[in-house]
Amino acid sequence: MLVVAYSRAARGSLRNVCRTHEESIVRRFGRVALLCETAFAAFQALRLRAKHGSDIQIERTEPFNEFEALGEEVRVAAEAYENRETPSLPYAAFAARNDHPEPDELRDREL
Amino acid sequence: MSGRQNSASGSEGPHPNGRRQTESAEGTVVVQTPDRRLSGRALDLREWTGTDLDAAGLVAAVRRSRGDGDDGPRDEGAVSDPEEAAAVERSAAVACPDPGPAHEYVGLVEPGMALRVRTALAAGARSRGLSAPQDEDLASVRTELAELTVPDADAAAARERLAGTESAVVAGRERVATIRGRIQAARDAGRETEGLREELRAAARELSEIETERAAAREALERAERRAREARDARERRRRLEDRAANLARAVRAHLVDALREEYVTALAAVPGSDRTGERDGAESPFDVDSVSAALAVGWVAELRAPVVLAVERFASADAAADWLDAPVLWV
Repeated sequence: MLVVAYSRAARGSLRNVCRTHEESIVRRFGRVALLCETAFAAFQALRLRAKHGSDIQIERTEPFNEFEALGEEVRVAAEAYENRETPSLPYAAFAARNDHPEPDELRDREL
Repeated sequence: MSGRQNSASGSEGPHPNGRRQTESAEGTVVVQTPDRRLSGRALDLREWTGTDLDAAGLVAAVRRSRGDGDDGPRDEGAVSDPEEAAAVERSAAVACPDPGPAHEYVGLVEPGMALRVRTALAAGARSRGLSAPQDEDLASVRTELAELTVPDADAAAARERLAGTESAVVAGRERVATIRGRIQAARDAGRETEGLREELRAAARELSEIETERAAAREALERAERRAREARDARERRRRLEDRAANLARAVRAHLVDALREEYVTALAAVPGSDRTGERDGAESPFDVDSVSAALAVGWVAELRAPVVLAVERFASADAAADWLDAPVLWV
């Protein structure tokens, strides 16, 4: 679970929760924290929201599996583009030349 | 002994920071309880305490005093803390000059008091009319913050609506599957299935309605989340302003503290009864001392017009305390 604080007060409370309940925290980055997928962590996140309302955003995250979420052509294109010989070549031109997916087409494709 | 006008020029000599001694007339304080009344610049009220007067009640009365302030009567609602209000009820009425910015921090000096020394010293600098180069920026950031409105980003209602439909769709599907199974079983057993098929049609209709509602709920949640995202952009802007205001406030405080640091250190060395031996480790912070000594040193540096309520035994008399602090004193 991802918890994001949108005010100084909310950030302070989030920091305190992270300090007090280390076992429920995967990682904290400033005013953002990644919480474990437990009811207790969710309880802490909901406490923060009860206290700070819309200044606390709670989202559920999913592990990203590129072999599941994507077709092979996207993985291949990423690899190939990072290994291109002309560093200044924009991806759109690179894709057209080497038969990789167009950037606009990728933008419209949901995972 | 108590209640005499302070006419002595002070046995401790002129105020060590060289400021002019306040004329006793302009520092006169009147303390009144239902059955007693005292006036003067340095009042020893120790005999009064415990009966109808305590230090907290007295300082609350000082802060509520209409005094001779020229900024008009203050809001009666200023005392919102019921405990403080009750203390005011019980104790005396005080007429005195309006408390300045430093009084909030060092207007009551008592053993074990909590004091944020730097904050108090910065307030002391304000009491003497000092300002900081960041004042204007800070004021404008605070104005901007006060004017900023952030929309609500709550999508809970939309989430709840969707969560209900998700489980309803699952239940509806299960019901359709169950009826289908029963129809199959009836068929296999060669029983009549018409009633069951009617039941199946009803369940299928219901499922389709629930699925329509779920689609609507999903759409509503998407809209709510879009709005929430925009609201968070605004909240993010506000948070940046809050951070900026806090940084500026820190810089202001550092500036004000620096301006008075030397005077404060001088005062600290002169605080009567301080547990500082004077010649201790030079690396020790002058802000890391017992809170009573720190409060008295801040009081010495600050310009205090309203009386300081002293609940410590650091001075030989109320007069000595008033002379040392160059402020009216109520000794309790």
